[in-house]
Amino acid sequence: MANYDYVEKAIKVSRREFLGLAGAGAALLWAGAYVTTDIFVDRTKYIKLRAAGMYKDDAKAKIRQSHNNPAVAEMYGKFAGKPLSPLAEELFHTTYVNRAKLGGKS
Amino acid sequence: MIGFRQKELSSVIEIDRKKCKGCDSCKAFCPTGAITGKYGAVHGVDNEKCLFCGQCLVNCPFGAPRDTADSVNAVIAKLKDSRAAVVGVIAPAVRVAIGEEFGLEPGTLTTEKLYGAMKQAGFKIFDNNFAADQCIMEEGSELIAKIRHYALGEPAHSHHLGPLPQFTSCCPAWVRHAELNYPEILPHLSSAKSPQQMAGALAKTYGARDVFKVEPENMYVVGIMPCTAKKFEASRPEFASAAAYWRKQGKTGLYPDVDTVLTTRDLARLLKKMNISLTAAAGFTDADNPLARYSGAGTIFGNTGGVMEAALRTAYFVITGQELATLEFASVRGLKGVKEASVAMKDAKTGKEITLKVAVVHGIKENLAPVVADVAAGKSPYHFIEVMNCPGGCVNGGGQPVNPMGTSWIDKYKAILPWS
Repeated sequence: MANYDYVEKAIKVSRREFLGLAGAGAALLWAGAYVTTDIFVDRTKYIKLRAAGMYKDDAKAKIRQSHNNPAVAEMYGKFAGKPLSPLAEELFHTTYVNRAKLGGKS
Repeated sequence: MIGFRQKELSSVIEIDRKKCKGCDSCKAFCPTGAITGKYGAVHGVDNEKCLFCGQCLVNCPFGAPRDTADSVNAVIAKLKDSRAAVVGVIAPAVRVAIGEEFGLEPGTLTTEKLYGAMKQAGFKIFDNNFAADQCIMEEGSELIAKIRHYALGEPAHSHHLGPLPQFTSCCPAWVRHAELNYPEILPHLSSAKSPQQMAGALAKTYGARDVFKVEPENMYVVGIMPCTAKKFEASRPEFASAAAYWRKQGKTGLYPDVDTVLTTRDLARLLKKMNISLTAAAGFTDADNPLARYSGAGTIFGNTGGVMEAALRTAYFVITGQELATLEFASVRGLKGVKEASVAMKDAKTGKEITLKVAVVHGIKENLAPVVADVAAGKSPYHFIEVMNCPGGCVNGGGQPVNPMGTSWIDKYKAILPWS
């Protein structure tokens, strides 16, 4: 091992400097904690609660399939005939527009 | 304005210059990059790109975006007008969220209270869940006709059949997105109207004649929606089919199918203005009204994957002639960006086996582009694809009650990184 002189540099931190450093450290820790909780904490609460409400409405329903809804069957019987009938086409179907071709003044 | 037709609303969302801090949060949620203004500068909305989905509105930490298409006072005036029959078309997702505006937990089911409060305000009820069931019948029949024709080799149905895969067309922001940015895939969209527009057309024809027994021109149909884009949809000029129907029967009059749209927030404001409390209202089931009857499949339309699940329940029955043993499709539930399911079934008519492949997309900013690119390139493996603009579906729509922290944090890290 090579010979060398090594004298540890004497660090002197005044009380005021120490407080400053501690403050900077605390701020770093706090910011880090804020960012990590922001990533890991579950903030999809609203979507999940509302979605659960919808599924609850489904689970408690007596009729759970659209084709078994008697009121819909009654409507087709009295009025529209059957799905995709000419009247159903007229009232319940539509077309779309290519808005890129519509133009207009900007 | 480029890309708008006559009578169409050309602006729904506006950013309040005084409230905007230029923080760019909205840009992390805007699906089409319609927000203008650099970081730190006051932002604005480019209406030619805007889908009116309102995701900026429900996620802005400062409440700067506003919904400018406000018809609360117009609806109150109609409710007080004794000649007008005001019909409220209540969307699925409204009933699990409006309670938040009256101090209830998110997700509280308020169907009966909501019917009661709306009856007290003077509305006649048309549950949009009924129209959702009807939508499954129309859209599902269209899908089955396509499958029978393209996959099982039967001759074409009289209905004009678009190509497979079929996209859902219930979400007005998605329809506008496709019309603006993916016109090449428009033939893939189901020709079925959205439940709101089916409800409007049905209310003013069958509803006027057989259920409410009023003259169609005296009806005022109000969509009660979790959605700001529905305001644009209702203003589309082709949605006046009830008036066209009655003109053929010798009546006169020009009116749209849906006269105006209130969001969940708007309805809460209307009830408060009329001093009606949702929580104190007497429950009302409207049991005699056929247009207030719905199935469980109709109600889950408010969730991402809900339209698909409802369609699968009916498609399975129509193709195989048997009901599903398990109605729940766990694979299309939940908050994964793109969900897939495949259901094997045997066609009762021909005895052929078919595996129905479906996909569900929500949060189109993050998840839509690859799915649409596959369809445009003709290599999509699916038969049916559900698309909803908002993360989580309509329950998290732009017209829902606002939480100051924002409600769309699915890809959370993307929204807090400064470069995204």
